[in-house]
Amino acid sequence: MPEIVIKFNDKVIERVVTEKKRVTIGRTKDNDIVLENRGVSRKHAQIEFNDGSAIVIDNESLNGTFVNNRRVSEELLRDSDVITIGKYALEFHTVSERPDPASQMDGTMILKTKQQQQLVENDRLEREIVSRAGGSVLLGLENTEVAEFKIEREVTTIGKAKFVHVRARGFMISGIQAKIVKEGENYFLVNLGRSGKTKVNGEAVDRIQLKNSDIIQVGKSSLRFVEGS
Amino acid sequence: MRIAVISDVHANLEALTEVTQDIERSNIERVFFLGDAVGYGADPDRCIKLVCDLCEIKLLGNHDYVAMGLESADGFNLMAKESIMWTQKTLKRKSIERLSDFEMEATFLDFYMTHASPEHPWEWNYIFTDLDAQRAFEAFTQTFCLIGHSHIPGIFARRPDGSIEFDSPESLTAQPDHRYIVNVGSVGQPRDGNRDAGYVLVDTETLHFEFRRIPYDLAAAQKKMRKAQLPEFLISRLASGQ
Repeated sequence: MPEIVIKFNDKVIERVVTEKKRVTIGRTKDNDIVLENRGVSRKHAQIEFNDGSAIVIDNESLNGTFVNNRRVSEELLRDSDVITIGKYALEFHTVSERPDPASQMDGTMILKTKQQQQLVENDRLEREIVSRAGGSVLLGLENTEVAEFKIEREVTTIGKAKFVHVRARGFMISGIQAKIVKEGENYFLVNLGRSGKTKVNGEAVDRIQLKNSDIIQVGKSSLRFVEGS
Repeated sequence: MRIAVISDVHANLEALTEVTQDIERSNIERVFFLGDAVGYGADPDRCIKLVCDLCEIKLLGNHDYVAMGLESADGFNLMAKESIMWTQKTLKRKSIERLSDFEMEATFLDFYMTHASPEHPWEWNYIFTDLDAQRAFEAFTQTFCLIGHSHIPGIFARRPDGSIEFDSPESLTAQPDHRYIVNVGSVGQPRDGNRDAGYVLVDTETLHFEFRRIPYDLAAAQKKMRKAQLPEFLISRLASGQ
């Protein structure tokens, strides 16, 4: 049976194994694969299976359907092709890597954990926040006085000094431990203070381009970077 | 207690070295630095290291702030911009780390300290006129405010009736009921017509301020600046002290 692995921000959120002739993809609940994101049309696309071949068909969606980063209206799928719809990546496999007949329903099997649903829900909330703020924001997670901080300056400072924009706590962190530099549409986190005290997603960094949902840690304080649209 | 207050070193290692030796000879307990370790001169890394070894309180100046990439150099004149861009290129990672612990303001006993003006220190405003000083006096509560930034040593005194007077004495003993803004001048690039490195010694018990001027190997500092291809105007102004 063919399998479609659905990823959001590089994390697998669903695996769909299907015996159906036709799998619909879109934002509304009546689709076989429901993708909750602004960039997804209500009835965005479908995959049709016929004699062992699979074709993805775009339903004249607003933001398009892409196969291996090329916009398509109809495309024959080969094994390991990646269909991009909105912020989701759908990996197509001609044969399921992990068949599990126990959770089969209606010919289509969907594995969806609570955690994965939470991921999508968090994204929806974050979209609300950036749209309200009108730009990229830092969300305070732990050990910070900041709840929501809109990053509008060219340079935003983070550290334990009184005069920085975002105060952080922790042993041996510098007054100005890090800065976020806005370069055009991109944001870079640069470590200025002691090495190893500025981390992104758990890794110590010197300078790194921030991606949506990155977790910035400065000392004991942590913040989530949410990129505005 | 006798303290030394230095400011505006501006990467002039020759001047800082002489001042350090003068401080060591002067029976001083504490040394404070009021900002601008870098910019203009050819020895930013070594000056930052020496300031850190020497000083208990270390403040940021606008040149340090721009060198760290925390603000653009758009507010600088062309030559200051050229020298700060050179500094940004040559500054070692360790020096940035050292600067990252410098403060914007500090207090000690009855002294408030910042680089430019107690009124919004991060805006780097100058205190040149009595009116500037009047507004600055409203922005701190201590008797004394110690600053640098303009490279012109001197004292704004506010009398009990609120009137303000500026003077550039060689020394001064504070009078009761007066308040003072003391500009300690510049170690590395004086602009009061005297080319010698300037700083201030303070006796915190007698409240006596002494404006020290120390000759240094100016030619050596200039030679390094030429080698680094820093703007000629910045090199020649060291000799005129303007």
